[in-house]
Amino acid sequence: MSYAENIEQAISNCRQQTVLMQRCLSQGKLMDALKHTSIMLTELRSPTLSPKQYYELYILIYDSLSILSSYFVECHPKKHHLADLYELVQYAGNILPRLYLMITVGSSYLQSSDAPREEILKDMIEMCKGVQNPIRGLFLRYYLSQRTKPFFETEDPEAKRANISLIVANFIEMNKLWVRLQHQGPLREREQRTRERKELKILVGTNLVRLSQIVESDFAMYRDEILPLVLEQVVQCRDIVSQEYLLDVICQVFPDEFHLGTLSELLSTTLKLSPAAPVNEVVLTLVERLNGYIDRQEHPGPDELAKKLESLDISSESQNVFFVFWKFLNQLNEERPDLSLQEFAPIIKGILKLTLRWYPDNLSNVDVLLKFMYEKCKESGQTVPEDYDYLFQELLLANDLRHDPRFFYQVLTKCESYQKLFRVQNKGLQKFCVNEILDAITHADLRISSETELQKILGVCEVMIEVGAEKASSSLILDEDDGTDAEKWSLNADQEKLAKIAHLCYNKSIEKHTELLIACREWFQKGDKNAKYLYPAVICNIWKLIRKCQLMIKRKPQRREKMSTTIKQLFKLASRTINELYNTCEGGCLDLLYKLNLQTASLADQLELGDIAYDFFSQAFTIFEESLSDSRTQFQAIVNMAQTLQKTRSLYAESSYDTLITRCTLHGSKLLKKQDQCRAVYTCSHLWWATEISLLGEEEGVTDNFFREGKRVLECLQRSLRVADSIMDNVQSCQLMVEILNRCCYYFVHGDENSTHVGTKYINGLIELIKTNLKSLKMEANQGEDSGERFFIGTDGSYIHQSPVNSVSAVYNKPPTSKGNNLASVPIEFFQRTLQYIEDQKDVDERFKAISVGSTS
Amino acid sequence: MLLLALSDAHIPERAIKDLPQKFKKLISVPNKIQQVVLLGNCTKSYSFLKFVNQISSNVVVVRGEFDNKTVAREEIPLNTIIKQGDFTIGCCNGYTVVPKSDPLSLLTLARQLDVDIVLWGGTHNVEAYTLEDKFFINPGTCTGAFNPDWPLPDASNDSTLEASADSSEPQTQASEGSTDNANDATVPAQDGKSDQDDVANKEDEDTDSEIDDFEVDGRCIPSFCLLDIQGSTCTLYIYTYVDGEVKVDKVVYNKK
Repeated sequence: MSYAENIEQAISNCRQQTVLMQRCLSQGKLMDALKHTSIMLTELRSPTLSPKQYYELYILIYDSLSILSSYFVECHPKKHHLADLYELVQYAGNILPRLYLMITVGSSYLQSSDAPREEILKDMIEMCKGVQNPIRGLFLRYYLSQRTKPFFETEDPEAKRANISLIVANFIEMNKLWVRLQHQGPLREREQRTRERKELKILVGTNLVRLSQIVESDFAMYRDEILPLVLEQVVQCRDIVSQEYLLDVICQVFPDEFHLGTLSELLSTTLKLSPAAPVNEVVLTLVERLNGYIDRQEHPGPDELAKKLESLDISSESQNVFFVFWKFLNQLNEERPDLSLQEFAPIIKGILKLTLRWYPDNLSNVDVLLKFMYEKCKESGQTVPEDYDYLFQELLLANDLRHDPRFFYQVLTKCESYQKLFRVQNKGLQKFCVNEILDAITHADLRISSETELQKILGVCEVMIEVGAEKASSSLILDEDDGTDAEKWSLNADQEKLAKIAHLCYNKSIEKHTELLIACREWFQKGDKNAKYLYPAVICNIWKLIRKCQLMIKRKPQRREKMSTTIKQLFKLASRTINELYNTCEGGCLDLLYKLNLQTASLADQLELGDIAYDFFSQAFTIFEESLSDSRTQFQAIVNMAQTLQKTRSLYAESSYDTLITRCTLHGSKLLKKQDQCRAVYTCSHLWWATEISLLGEEEGVTDNFFREGKRVLECLQRSLRVADSIMDNVQSCQLMVEILNRCCYYFVHGDENSTHVGTKYINGLIELIKTNLKSLKMEANQGEDSGERFFIGTDGSYIHQSPVNSVSAVYNKPPTSKGNNLASVPIEFFQRTLQYIEDQKDVDERFKAISVGSTS
Repeated sequence: MLLLALSDAHIPERAIKDLPQKFKKLISVPNKIQQVVLLGNCTKSYSFLKFVNQISSNVVVVRGEFDNKTVAREEIPLNTIIKQGDFTIGCCNGYTVVPKSDPLSLLTLARQLDVDIVLWGGTHNVEAYTLEDKFFINPGTCTGAFNPDWPLPDASNDSTLEASADSSEPQTQASEGSTDNANDATVPAQDGKSDQDDVANKEDEDTDSEIDDFEVDGRCIPSFCLLDIQGSTCTLYIYTYVDGEVKVDKVVYNKK
């Protein structure tokens, strides 16, 4: 007898033989039927078939043999006795067909009640040893397992035990065959062989499935009679594919409770695996399985779980699942010094996942795991290659750690080992993690209330804070060219996140809160020039504390005395912080420093702390005088100062206000550009004309003690007019005069000539002056045709170009050269609009009628 | 067309998060808003600018006192003009307007720039009014950032007590010692674990949880404005965020 050359032929042969067999059976020719079956079975001897093809053929033959089997059962014992047949098939010529037939007969025989069950089963298993070719053997035994499946269902524990030992025996043999398959054929086909083996794994796994079906919920039997034998085989086979697969199957097919009971056995088996076997995957499978157990519980609370564990038949030591894993980890560490950091990392991550699921609030478990990892890192001595960054990233930013920001915060602040492990990572990874950490804690409405916690958080962020240091050393040469005045700011997302830490600080005790802020400041100072991104947040929080004190005094006036001291301390702190920023950044952020001083001054003023306010204003002046050099910045700074001073109320004593506003105006009049001088001075006129702050209950017309000196207002306006008049560029000159006219209107609305000193006569004179000056301009403007292009001059003298094509105007600091003609119309039109306004006011305010507008065109 | 006006975000120097989540939901509908105006103090946060750019790529920025001179290498102007529909809109943070936020001063600005609508910021208080046929809009602060200007009058000093002050006042008057204990119970959990610190807190007379951040921040509520401009009609929607809810007010302004 021979076999076909290829699978197609083999299949058609089988089909043919099946038909012939069926015909013989219907004619009652049993011997012929057996002959055809034998021929068909010969196909299974073919060595050319791949595992897949072999499986295909096997399925076909299985079906044919089923037909035969049911015939056997039907006709027993009328036409033949199966015991005889069992003997008869032994004479089949070739071993493989013989054994298939024998199993078919044997399993049919088992269906009758008088069969000697155990003997037959044992015999069949024994006989299977005759086939030692891996693929053929595997399928043969698989056939045995499939055929005998129905006869293993029994309630009798003794029978059960016997069945189990039969299946285990079969399993062991099958696994051996499976392993042997690896070592067949030429070496270069090794990988292909491994691939083929993986296709056949289900044949071996079936045995374990069957075992789980038989053992049902009998834990003792599993623990004592199945697991030890199975695990022994796993260890002994010394085959990676087999070990990985079998442990996985064990984890999957047996109930959770069994695993809980035999956790340490399972884990210690992994210690004995062949060195190349992936220990981490086994651990992860187990972790998934055990975590899944919690999900499958109706009441997954920790108390219910503990009770459930107690009810199981496990030693009390093993009831702490984490402890079992921890013990295993230590053993692993001892027995497998060859395992690298990279191999440990996933295991730790797996156990971390387990402990967080089983003992969600247990920080010490987390700590102990991270500590282990940290020590491993230290042991290895060398830095971890960057390729493995992801492993540590997964560990430090594990989703299981982060999913609850509050817990993550606890880990960050309470786990010493987290910090340690964090710091041994390379800078790039640390930075990446800091980013993620800061995102997590700033988005979680967390508050940092104790200094130790704050120190921990800032400690983690150190790598991000200290970037300045390394940059400074590398760009020493460049710095020389830059000069100190250059304000270089960039949109720095990292620093932005760091700055937010200052806002997270909170303690209901002002003293404690202040300490937190000081701690922030100290850390931020390490950022060197980056301090300019970070300090404003600290200062803002000091302001907030001051405001808080203020509110507390209002609520409980009896606290005033104590609070006043605190407030003064806080102002000192603010001042020191601003100075420190100045010293750290030198020229890097002067405008910012100037404005911080102004805002602090106005805050002090609101608290009626005139002296302190005066001090901060003086500081601002110092910065202005010594350091602000850019003319545009200077102009905006003076105007901003005027705005702030105009809103103060506490400086009137000891003529501090007078000193400050005079100084401010003086600075305004000394600005570099004449147009800036002019604008600054007319703006400063407001400093002698306080207006209502309705929040303080002041009201125009009711409050009678406003700080107002009309004479000085007029002086300012006159002075600025003189400057405007002296400007050669008549567009600018006229524009400024119209602006002054508008200021005059402002004061005209505000009061009579005897209080504002800005009267009809003055305004009329100004209108005449402007008209005269505009005459020459109008000649220039005449030829301009209306192209829709329009220009305006902004409050800082910038040129705003409105074009019909763009919805947004372009803004220039210098007069645009090409369209110069249009500029002449800027003051002309502005003047017309102002006159129109005066005309309109005549309907509302009688006094305006005294202003002679003349012809508006 | 829709124009979004945001002002005084002050991230990160005064505020942690950008807009309240409910605001974000409202305005981050893609291709809905054609133009965004940032009225100062909005340019120091990378994430905020990224968010704004996602709303619309057409972003107009004017400089607030805490903005740098440039953002993304472009100089930030102090004031600028936008044309939309029949309207011209003047934008300015107002930190150089003296007296601060004075209607007459703003009116002068409107005249100088010849605009119908003035958008300004810097006060952290949302407001909108018409004066001399011109429309003045201040969208307030979009983050509810701290405002160092004169605080709004403190409620507990007046006879008309605000609800928040009302509830805490009698409690503090009862007895100093026992209230402190009661207050301790309400602080966040992580506070309780800082063992010794906490004992010190109890004895500390400064301890006071009755002042909430809202008061400290100068009672600033997050707010922004949306202008719907159709020809010569401008419908202004004022969004405010009060007690976790978004309130919307509508004002219609017609150009004469």
